[in-house]
Amino acid sequence: MKDIKAKLTEKIKASFDTVSEKDYNGNRLDFHVDVKIIPQILTFLKVNLGYIHLSHISCVDWLEEGEFEIIYILWSPVEKLKVFVRTRINREKPVLPNIDMIWRQANTYEREMREMFGIEIEGLEGAEEFLLEDWQEMPPMRRDFQTEEYAEKTFWSREGREDAIDVREEIIKRSREEIPDFAKKYSR
Amino acid sequence: MINDKNSQKIVDIIQNWARKHSIWVLAYGTGCGAIEIPPTMTSRYDAERLGVRGAATPRQADVLLVTGYLTTKTLKRVIRVYEQMQDPKFVIGFGSCTINGGMYYDSYNTIKLLDKYLPVDVYINGCMPRPEAVLAGFGKLQEIIAEGRANGAQKYKDNLEWYKANQKKIIPSLLTTDYNW
Amino acid sequence: MDLLTNILGAIATIILAFVVGMSYGGIVRKITARVHNRLGPPWYQNFIDAYKLFGKTTAIHHGWMQIMGPAFLMVSSVVTLMFVPVLNNGGWFTNLNFKGDLIFLLYLMVFGPLGMALGAGQTGNPNSAIGVTRGLSQMVGFEIPWVMALVALMIQFNTTTITGLMDVQQMSGTWLMFSSPFAFIAAVLAMLGMFRYSPFDIVGAPTELASGPVSENGGKFLFTMMSSGSIFSFVKLTLYVDLFMGGADNLIILLIKTFSIYMIPVLYGIVSPRYRTEQAIRFFWGWPLFFGILAILYAAIF
Repeated sequence: MKDIKAKLTEKIKASFDTVSEKDYNGNRLDFHVDVKIIPQILTFLKVNLGYIHLSHISCVDWLEEGEFEIIYILWSPVEKLKVFVRTRINREKPVLPNIDMIWRQANTYEREMREMFGIEIEGLEGAEEFLLEDWQEMPPMRRDFQTEEYAEKTFWSREGREDAIDVREEIIKRSREEIPDFAKKYSR
Repeated sequence: MINDKNSQKIVDIIQNWARKHSIWVLAYGTGCGAIEIPPTMTSRYDAERLGVRGAATPRQADVLLVTGYLTTKTLKRVIRVYEQMQDPKFVIGFGSCTINGGMYYDSYNTIKLLDKYLPVDVYINGCMPRPEAVLAGFGKLQEIIAEGRANGAQKYKDNLEWYKANQKKIIPSLLTTDYNW
Repeated sequence: MDLLTNILGAIATIILAFVVGMSYGGIVRKITARVHNRLGPPWYQNFIDAYKLFGKTTAIHHGWMQIMGPAFLMVSSVVTLMFVPVLNNGGWFTNLNFKGDLIFLLYLMVFGPLGMALGAGQTGNPNSAIGVTRGLSQMVGFEIPWVMALVALMIQFNTTTITGLMDVQQMSGTWLMFSSPFAFIAAVLAMLGMFRYSPFDIVGAPTELASGPVSENGGKFLFTMMSSGSIFSFVKLTLYVDLFMGGADNLIILLIKTFSIYMIPVLYGIVSPRYRTEQAIRFFWGWPLFFGILAILYAAIF
């Protein structure tokens, strides 16, 4: 596995300059690339190196850093290796190149990403309403979208449930666990 | 004779008795509640001995059973199904999701209170309600039908504007058709 | 017989057919439930259902043909009932027994489903259209062995009237079930399709087609179809008893005979899954057709 990873890194580095890699245990290898070369590097991986299967496209909202991270997960049935191609784009004006001419199924992921995160994808086919109907707010999967507030405002709440106990606090008290600092923010 | 008040009362009693013992259910199986319907209908709990029976289409059904959460997209379809049903018709809300949102209390596209959009006659509590609870819910529905208190459809007709406004609030593209009940 | 007796007799026949057909339906539901190891609804459940359906409002209809469809079914069932002798000696239930013959009856029996097909076509529901095509294909399947069985009887005894065939059984003392066995087998196999219990319930498959042709009909439409279906099943059962089991001398014997012959499709249906359309047609054009041909040969040679 180590040889395969080293060979792959070498081949990628030879063709593209601005690539940094990160190795993980097991059959996983990450590449951090610039957003401009995304179509080129994916085509290169698919056509020249045999990474023919696009498993997933994922999007992470890094609110504090002001960036979206897009992750393309590829799989090679010959080398049995997962390759994660990661890229970061600006959160204020998110624009992403379209890759559905490389893998047709990427179109569905891209449409969902466009709707749920508000990422604009250049030349996307079917860039219209997909999963949500009549949505007028900000895209709901962004982290600064206040879901509970929105639900309260739109769908009302049953009256007489305001005194509901927060079960999480009670469970933590009983199991004598410490709440980590980052989690305190989300606990009521 | 037939328009006489007393004879109308007798006819009502007989009709309510028949309605009570012949409940044809249209199970709108959203969410996890759909899986509770087969055990209720088959040999373990056997709802057919109470006259409860599945109906295939809204036109033939008496009871709309909403078995779980409703997203804004499914709500649109449920409203259409409900409006296709013929009078007298009843609605059973099934599970916590239809009562107060249940575990979807903070979801951005799942409604919390079903009775803001459709007139609910009986709620069955639980997450999920077991078949015993479902049968108890049907028993309650039979009780209020026999007493003539199951008038959800009439409530819907009388307060149509209020219901339509609530529905329009979350589904702006809802088409209002002409109604000739 | 004067006119008044005739009319009263006709009404009595219709009421008898309705009550017996509905009760049989309820008993079948009970038997099905017992086979499933359930308690099941009471035997009079179908009457409650029918009364409730009659009490429902019908807010909209899709045009006059939809109203005509159930009416066609009802008229066809009742007219067929008028031509089928209920008892051997006639009496109150004589009606029009001596007017028509088997060939006329064959035409009459497909009249109702055809009207229903027109009515279902106008509802515009795609499920209805699929159900209608399935029903007509299935009818093409089972009508052939059924007609062959009847033709065999006609050749064998040189008569086309039902009363003639009943007289033959009275005179010889043996039922046609035994004197022309192949025709009986073909007719019974055709009956499996005629009653539309599974595996031949491909027309109104509830989970597959949302009850097929009746999917847009609720309330009073469904009540009409339900009651005409009950009457029609009584008609078919009585016809089988008349043709093959020597008719009945009184109502008790009629009920025993019809019920026992009704159990063939019912019990076969409870334990069977559903056929597809082409499988059903292949079934009817296999062994039933073979027995039909055998019956005709048997009738022609002896």
